[in-house]
Amino acid sequence: MMLFRKWTSRLACAAALATAPQHVSARPPQEVASPTVGMPARWNDVVLPGSELEAVTSSRTSPVALRIVAVRPHGDSFRYDFEFWGLEPGVHDLRALLVRKDGSTKSDLPALEVTVRSALGEEGMRLPNAPKPAELPELGGYEALLVAGGVVWVAGLGWMLLAGRRRRAAELAAQPKVRSLAERLQPLVERAMRGELSREERAALELSLVALWRRRLRLDEARPAEVIATLRKHPDAGPLLSKLEEWLHRPQPRGAEEIPALLAPYRNLRAEELDSDGAAR
Amino acid sequence: MTTTRPSVSQADLAHVQDYIKKVRARVGTVVVGQDVVVERLLIALFSGGHLLLQGVPGLAKTLLVSTLSKSIDLGFARVQFTIDLLPSDILGSEVLDQRTNEFRVRKGPIFTNLLLADEINRAAPKVQGALLEAMQERKVTIGPETFRLPAPFLVIATQNPVEQAGTFELPEAQLDRFMLVHRLDYPSPEEEREVLRRNAALGIQRQDKGAIVQTEFDVLDQRPVGSGNEIVAAMEAVSSIHVSDTFVDHVVEVVHRTRTHPDVELGCSPRAGISLIKASRARALMHGRDYVVPEDLYALAEDALLHRMRLKYGSIAEGKTGRQVLDEILRAMGGEARS
Repeated sequence: MMLFRKWTSRLACAAALATAPQHVSARPPQEVASPTVGMPARWNDVVLPGSELEAVTSSRTSPVALRIVAVRPHGDSFRYDFEFWGLEPGVHDLRALLVRKDGSTKSDLPALEVTVRSALGEEGMRLPNAPKPAELPELGGYEALLVAGGVVWVAGLGWMLLAGRRRRAAELAAQPKVRSLAERLQPLVERAMRGELSREERAALELSLVALWRRRLRLDEARPAEVIATLRKHPDAGPLLSKLEEWLHRPQPRGAEEIPALLAPYRNLRAEELDSDGAAR
Repeated sequence: MTTTRPSVSQADLAHVQDYIKKVRARVGTVVVGQDVVVERLLIALFSGGHLLLQGVPGLAKTLLVSTLSKSIDLGFARVQFTIDLLPSDILGSEVLDQRTNEFRVRKGPIFTNLLLADEINRAAPKVQGALLEAMQERKVTIGPETFRLPAPFLVIATQNPVEQAGTFELPEAQLDRFMLVHRLDYPSPEEEREVLRRNAALGIQRQDKGAIVQTEFDVLDQRPVGSGNEIVAAMEAVSSIHVSDTFVDHVVEVVHRTRTHPDVELGCSPRAGISLIKASRARALMHGRDYVVPEDLYALAEDALLHRMRLKYGSIAEGKTGRQVLDEILRAMGGEARS
């Protein structure tokens, strides 16, 4: 009889185990502390069904951070010791911070809600007033003066350039177009004959004519003293140079001369030939 | 002593030009060619400057000066400069007269009208200095007394540009005292043939009991072609030659360019411009003009300016010569037309 009872109780236990549900629910979190914001709290011996879980790294915006302190097998489940920090007051579900190590679904997990209290009372955290962007002052007097001065300077420069160009264009338009060296020389020679040239003009006219003929007759290699003697005897260069000598150097120059005849050798020369760089063109 | 600023008539000018032609013709009877040198000598004489002739021996420098002095009736003395020459050998000195037991002045050869200082660079600097001081001041102090040199007074110095060993080169400051420095060239082949022909025609000259071979000096007509008055008239005529403002501008420009040329270390002094204008006036007179023209400037620039310029060492090392640089300067004048 005793043996029968022993076996009957064993069978009853076995039957009870056989008819028990396949998964184990988490124990109710009666013993879970409700920490204040920022303070750590422990939740030990939490048995959760399924494969082993691990905590995910909490993000900067996560309201709670979770660390698994210890994991132990518990039948076909596991028993966990959690440590968590609430970063914002309220009720938070720790499931959001857990994943299966084998990557399987965690839908069978029960809710793991913890409450985080605020230490600041009902009003919560008092935030400082949001700063309002200050309005920029209007452009200061010195800077405005600089800008205005710059504008005036640029405008003035532009005006001067335009005015100078316009005046030069007007002068050019007013001048008769010089076509030959004879035409360029004629007013100078006439003024030389009348003794109206300035000192500078006299010296420049005489020496530039010497230089012109030296270039034209290719006397650059000759000694300067020979050049001038040669030019005085030359049928083209000589007449005007000799007359200029008389008009510019003689104390009482003789009367008027036939200027067109003197300028005849210069009719076929370009006006620019009198300039040293013009000859090279 | 009077200072005159004469106004010379055309007739006077013609007379002076005739005199100059006669002098040149007389010199031409003995010296072949060298017209330019004769012209320079007369320019120096008529414009009161001094002349340095640079040339190798044998170009008739001494004959030329001697001939000129005889042609124009001037006192002439020649001093051969040597290393042992003393200032007193030129200027004179005080000597003790043993009869009166007093010092008396014995004037040196500088007391003449035309002094030929042959090979001036062979004498010591103190001798050169004594001569050049007398040239500048035209007076000499011997002992306690100061003597004025005769007028006209013209020093014609010679210098051999080749043999420089044992010579004392004249410094720029002393070269500046010479109004003109003329560089003699060899005669042309035609002139040289004439020199040889004339020399071959010289015979011998009986003297005492023997005879000596005649030289060019012996065939010169000893009678002068004019008197001192003609020289004074020529000097007056030179000072009456018109110098235009334009010509002055040309002179200022060329002198200024010598001071700014990149190859020139020491440019010309204002004395260079003065000399150039003085010499140009004399040249104008000799060419029959009563006014100067640029040709005078170009013809005389080398003689009046070159010895007053000193090139930079780098330019000399590059092979440039003063004559090349001066030619560059003269060519550059008038290079730009301003009207």
